[in-house]
Amino acid sequence: MEHRKLRGNGVDIHVAIQGPSDGPVVLLIHGFPTLWYSWRHQIPGLAALGYRAVAPDLRGYGDSDAPSEISSYTCFHLVGDMIAVISALTEDKVFVVGHDWGALIAWYLCLFRPDKVKALVNLSVPFSFGPKDPTVKPIDVLRKFYGDDFYMCRFQEVGEIEAEISEVGVERVVRRILTYRTPRPLILPKDKSFWGPKDETIPLPSWLTEEDVAYYVSKFQEKGYTGGVNYYRNFDRNNELFAPWVGCKIQVPTKFAIGEQDLVYHFPGAREYIHGPKFKEEVPLLEEPVVIEGAAHFVNQEKPQEILQLIVDFISKF
Amino acid sequence: MDLTFAHRFVKVNGINMHFAEKTPSLVADYGAFDGALRPPPVILLLHGFPELWYTWRHQMAALSSLGYRTIAPDLRGYGDTEAPESADAYTSLHVVGDLIGLIDEVVGDREKVFVVGHDWGAIIAWHLCLLRPDRVKALVNMSVVFEPWSLKRKPISVFKSFYGDDYYICRFQEYGEIEAEFAKVGTERVLMELLTYRDPGPILLPKGKSYDDPVSLPSWLTEYDVKYYVSKFEKNGFTGPVNYYRNMDRTWEMMGPFSNAQVKVPVKFIIGDQDLTYHIPGTKKYIHDGRFKSHVPLLDEVVVIKGGGHFIHEERPDEISKHIHDYFLTF
Repeated sequence: MEHRKLRGNGVDIHVAIQGPSDGPVVLLIHGFPTLWYSWRHQIPGLAALGYRAVAPDLRGYGDSDAPSEISSYTCFHLVGDMIAVISALTEDKVFVVGHDWGALIAWYLCLFRPDKVKALVNLSVPFSFGPKDPTVKPIDVLRKFYGDDFYMCRFQEVGEIEAEISEVGVERVVRRILTYRTPRPLILPKDKSFWGPKDETIPLPSWLTEEDVAYYVSKFQEKGYTGGVNYYRNFDRNNELFAPWVGCKIQVPTKFAIGEQDLVYHFPGAREYIHGPKFKEEVPLLEEPVVIEGAAHFVNQEKPQEILQLIVDFISKF
Repeated sequence: MDLTFAHRFVKVNGINMHFAEKTPSLVADYGAFDGALRPPPVILLLHGFPELWYTWRHQMAALSSLGYRTIAPDLRGYGDTEAPESADAYTSLHVVGDLIGLIDEVVGDREKVFVVGHDWGAIIAWHLCLLRPDRVKALVNMSVVFEPWSLKRKPISVFKSFYGDDYYICRFQEYGEIEAEFAKVGTERVLMELLTYRDPGPILLPKGKSYDDPVSLPSWLTEYDVKYYVSKFEKNGFTGPVNYYRNMDRTWEMMGPFSNAQVKVPVKFIIGDQDLTYHIPGTKKYIHDGRFKSHVPLLDEVVVIKGGGHFIHEERPDEISKHIHDYFLTF
C-alpha cells in the first residue's frame, strides 16, 4: 500500500493506494467521522484481485487539506475533489464505493458525472437524501422532525460541537461513536450525557482494535472535527444549489447495502424507501437492496469480509 | 409579421418566472410537419445582458409559424421575473435550476427541448448542457464559446489581468457601485450605449467616463424597442442582471465536478465577425483550430456572419431564424 498526495481541485488530497497500476480503479469514499482507514480490510483484498483500490481522506479529514472557510465544504467541492482524484489516476470510468457521507458524495458524483462511473456500491445512506425541493431548508425540516438536539442540528453552531468534543476528549468521542449501536436517530443532549461518565471505559467490540482506535484518535486530535462537521453546515446551501438535478435519476448500475441495526435504517421512512418502489424508481439500475444481519452503521469495519465479497461480486460483473 | 405573444407566469425554484410564449396555429402545425397531430417541438430561448425575452421577438414569430412552440423567459433578476434579494443567488446553478423547473412545469418532466442562447443566455445554455444533457435535444448558441473549466483560471482575476480594472466585468463587481453610476447616467442612455456597442475591442468603463457623445439608433433597433427595454430596466434596476457577473467566481468554485467534462449535446454555433467576443485574444484560433470541437464533440457547424455584431439575432433576424430552423429540422 502506498500513500500519496494528489492535487486537483485546489486542495491536497491524501490517498492510500494499493493494486496494479493498470488495474480498474475502485474509489472508496469514507464518511463521518472516519478516514481512508475505514477501508483497511477491503483495500488489500481488492488489490489481490487485480483492482487498483484508492481510498482518499476527504477534504477536512486526516492527511488531506482542510480549508478554513465553511463555504469550501459544499457537495460541489467534495465531488470536485473526487473528480480530481479520478482524473489524476485514470481516463477510464471507475468503480465507486461509498459509506455514510461517502455514499452521499457518491450519489452526487453519479448525478453530475455518470460518464465517470462504471458501477456503484453504496453503503448505509440511500438516495432518499437526493436533491428535492430547493426552496426547503433541510436543517429547518430536521429541527422540526427530530428537535434541536438531533446531531445534525447540534452541528450547525460554529464551534459548539467542537468545544464539546474538546471537553469530552477525542479518545472518548471516537470510542463512543464507533461503538454506537442504538437503532434510533442520534440525539446529543446539550448536557453531554451522550458521551457517558468520564471514568467509565468504553469496551471495544471484536471488530475494532486498540490500534484502530489509536489511529483515528491521533488523526482527529491533529485535525479536529471542524472539517467533517462543516459538511453538515452546508446542507441548506447544497440544497439550494441542487436545483438543476431535482427529479434527475441515477443512471449507474448500483448495489446498496445497509446494516440491520444501522441508525440510518431506523430513520422514519427509511425502510419504506429502501424496500419500496421509490428507490428503484429513482435509481433504475438498482439491484435488490441488501440488509446485513447483525451489523450497525460502520458496516465496512464491522463485517469486512462480507462487504469485500459484496463489492467484488458486484463489480466483477462489469 | 405577427408579434403577439402569450405572457405567462410560473413558480419555479422558489421564484416567480415570467416567460413569453408563441405557439404554432393549428394550420402551421399540420403544414410544417408530417400532418400527424403531435405536440410541437419546443424551443427554449435564453437572452443575455442587458436584454430580456423581447430580444427573441423576431425568432419567436418566425419559428412559431414554422411549427415550433417557442418559450422565452425573462431570466432571474430580469424584467418581469423575480429578482431574489440575496446577491449570491445568481450562480449558474440557480439559473439552470430555474430552467429545469420551467421545462418540467411547462413542457413536462421527462421532456427534452431545443435550446437557443445568446450572450449570458449562451453561458447558461452551455451549463444547462453540461449539467442536464438529458433535457436538451440540440443547441444553437451565439456569441459566447464554451470554455472548459480550469482550476487555474478564476474568472475575475483573469479578466483583471487581461483587461485591467476598468474592464466592465471588473467594474461590475462592487455591489451597488455600477448601479449608482448607471442611475446618474440614466437607464435609457446606458442601454443605448450597450445595445449599440460595435467596437470589436473590450468594453472599458473608466470611472468618470462621459456618456455625452451622441448615440444613434441602428437600423435593427426602433424607438419602440428601446422604450420597451427602458421601461423594464427602469422598473427593476440593474442589480439583478449585474449580479450574474458578481457570481462568476462563485459559479467557478462550484464547477470542480465538471472539470474535463465535454458538452455532449449537438451544437450549432453562430458568431458575428464584428462581435467583440470574436475579437477576444485567442478566440478566433480556439474556434477554428479544433479545440472548440474537442470540448464540444457534437459541434456540427460554426457559422461566422460577415459584418455581424454582438446582437446578431436582432441585426439579422431572418438569417438567424433560418439557421435555427435548418439545424433543428435535422433532429
